[in-house]
Amino acid sequence: MISCTEFIPAYSELFKFLEKQGGKEEVVRYWEYISDNFLDNLRGLVEEHGLRGCWLYWSHTLNEEAADFTMELDEEAGEFSIIMHYCPSKGRLNELEYMEPYEDYCGHCDVLYRRVLEPLGLECIADLSESDEARCSFVVRDSDVS
Amino acid sequence: MPKEVMRREAADNVYLHKDFHGAMSGGIQYVHDRYGEEAVREYLRQFAEAYHAPLKEEIRQRGLVALAEYTEKIYNIESGEIEIEPYKDEMILRVAACPAVMHMREHGYPVADLWVETTRTVNEQLVEGTPFAFELVEYEEETGRSVQRFYRRGT
Repeated sequence: MISCTEFIPAYSELFKFLEKQGGKEEVVRYWEYISDNFLDNLRGLVEEHGLRGCWLYWSHTLNEEAADFTMELDEEAGEFSIIMHYCPSKGRLNELEYMEPYEDYCGHCDVLYRRVLEPLGLECIADLSESDEARCSFVVRDSDVS
Repeated sequence: MPKEVMRREAADNVYLHKDFHGAMSGGIQYVHDRYGEEAVREYLRQFAEAYHAPLKEEIRQRGLVALAEYTEKIYNIESGEIEIEPYKDEMILRVAACPAVMHMREHGYPVADLWVETTRTVNEQLVEGTPFAFELVEYEEETGRSVQRFYRRGT
């Protein structure tokens, strides 16, 4: 068995494997496939609750992943944000010093979530500039509110 | 409604996101559908060779006791019921039900057609280049119940 605590290095190696098969395009195709097929829970929550659906979705996943984060929801301003102080996934990859993470490992988050949220009328702003240090931010805005 | 804020540190929670089993399964099925059966094994060999490099070295140096320690650790994390009979030249692992398979069945995640390879191929690669070999003696797809045997080559 591959433990769920070993999934992140397995995921990183999958991205490398796919890139060997078909280049970066193939990796992005896979991310889009995941977004289309495995994020129905996020899609459903946002359809039902609007921006609060983001809060509900990430309240579950970020706690189970033991992330170090600040999450804010301001429904009056139409803004939801996650400030990731230390990403458990990228952090784990960095801690496995004998392994080389997939070079654009963090790119999957932006593709996965943007692809769900933008068609629902939400604007997504990802800052991955410090992702090498396992830090990033993700802001979702509902322009109909603000 | 006032602004809501949630602040968490890593130490506030236990790292155990079992839905990752479903994501793993989805990845394996994707590779299977797009590139075929052998590609799944090739990917899992690549993963095992990279991720398990330190464990493989431990097995070379300390033998099957290193593997028994690792196995007890991960099944304990996943609350899996196992029995291990570790000997110097052979280790039999009996898994009552695979925690990953049970989680996926309970939560409606499709279990990849070649899920068994996360055990067979990964374990084969784990002991490749060591004095030991691996045999999947029994495997039940519905629950992941299995009997696994690691043994010294040539015995």
